[in-house]
Amino acid sequence: MKREVAAEIVDSLKEAGVDFVASLTEANLHDLVMALGEDPAIHHVPVTREEEGIGICAGAYLGGKKPAMVMMNSGFLLSTNALATVCIHPGIPVLMLIGHSGGVGEENAAHATVGALTEPVLQAMHIVYEKVGRFEDIRPTIRDSQILARSSRRPTAIVLNKQALR
Amino acid sequence: MKRYDCLQAIVPHFGEELVVTNLGAVRHEWQALRPHAGNYHLQNLGLTSSLALGLALALPHRKVVAFDGDGSLLLNLGSLATIANQRPRNLIHLVFDNECYESSRGAPTATAGQADLAAVAHGCGFANVITAKTLTEFTEGFVRALKDKDLYFILAKVEAGAGDVPAAALDSQENKYLFVRYIEKSENLKILTSTLSRASEPRAK
Repeated sequence: MKREVAAEIVDSLKEAGVDFVASLTEANLHDLVMALGEDPAIHHVPVTREEEGIGICAGAYLGGKKPAMVMMNSGFLLSTNALATVCIHPGIPVLMLIGHSGGVGEENAAHATVGALTEPVLQAMHIVYEKVGRFEDIRPTIRDSQILARSSRRPTAIVLNKQALR
Repeated sequence: MKRYDCLQAIVPHFGEELVVTNLGAVRHEWQALRPHAGNYHLQNLGLTSSLALGLALALPHRKVVAFDGDGSLLLNLGSLATIANQRPRNLIHLVFDNECYESSRGAPTATAGQADLAAVAHGCGFANVITAKTLTEFTEGFVRALKDKDLYFILAKVEAGAGDVPAAALDSQENKYLFVRYIEKSENLKILTSTLSRASEPRAK
């Protein structure tokens, strides 16, 4: 991910009201995670496992914060039970920014399997998501996904494809 | 000592503290002893400590107490590293360790073998770690943690067995709304968004 893309995401999150982010890094998310850690307007919590971040975000919401979770799609798949029981069941929103590995152009066979499962699992969980690949789509998509998360009291997701992550 | 005896011993010390309970009998026991809108009963095994961390970070001036269990924490050991690094001074992470999956008919957990959760917490960087094996040790340790302004990990070694209490009559959605409305009121916050009806807008003449 280019630095200017990371900066655009962080700025868009703040404009959408997000003030609390849990994250688990990956090579493609590195610049974003580092930028989140440096921003004084966002409480950044690096986690050891993605489902932990879902729990932390839910608690932050109950305490009045506007949380988001940054992770790769492998971490999203790991978080499905947490999302079902902690967020969807009681009705707690969390905006998820999901780096999408395993899409077209992927050279790693193992990532390809995770990539193929990501959208079907989002759909199976009835999580509304948008795919973002172009720079100019980042800001309006973050804004609108956050509006829906808050109004519907459900998790929403933005799937950042390779083009967005480069 | 049993978990219910521990809860009975500490309930007189509670005021407006926020409590997150683990899945299982502890939520019914606590709701019977302290029916309060500041109780959040999590319907997930493993994330009690994490949800309590998020809550403690969001409201640093409010004391937050997590009633966790050994089976739950063993699912989420990494949360101890995250909590110790964040070090919220308003969080007490209390683990009732009965060395078994009590709600799932009692098969032993890893703490029935070699695992020591207090040692794990210490190794993850918790500065204040208490292991309590008697009710006196437990009560003294908990009251100290409640009065102090720092992060605590308390391991209460308990016998299996639940208190004789009725099932808590809260479902998750109801619990969430009551909890959030309580936070909104007591903290003067707006958490739940509401949409104005178009019909309520004045019509253009």
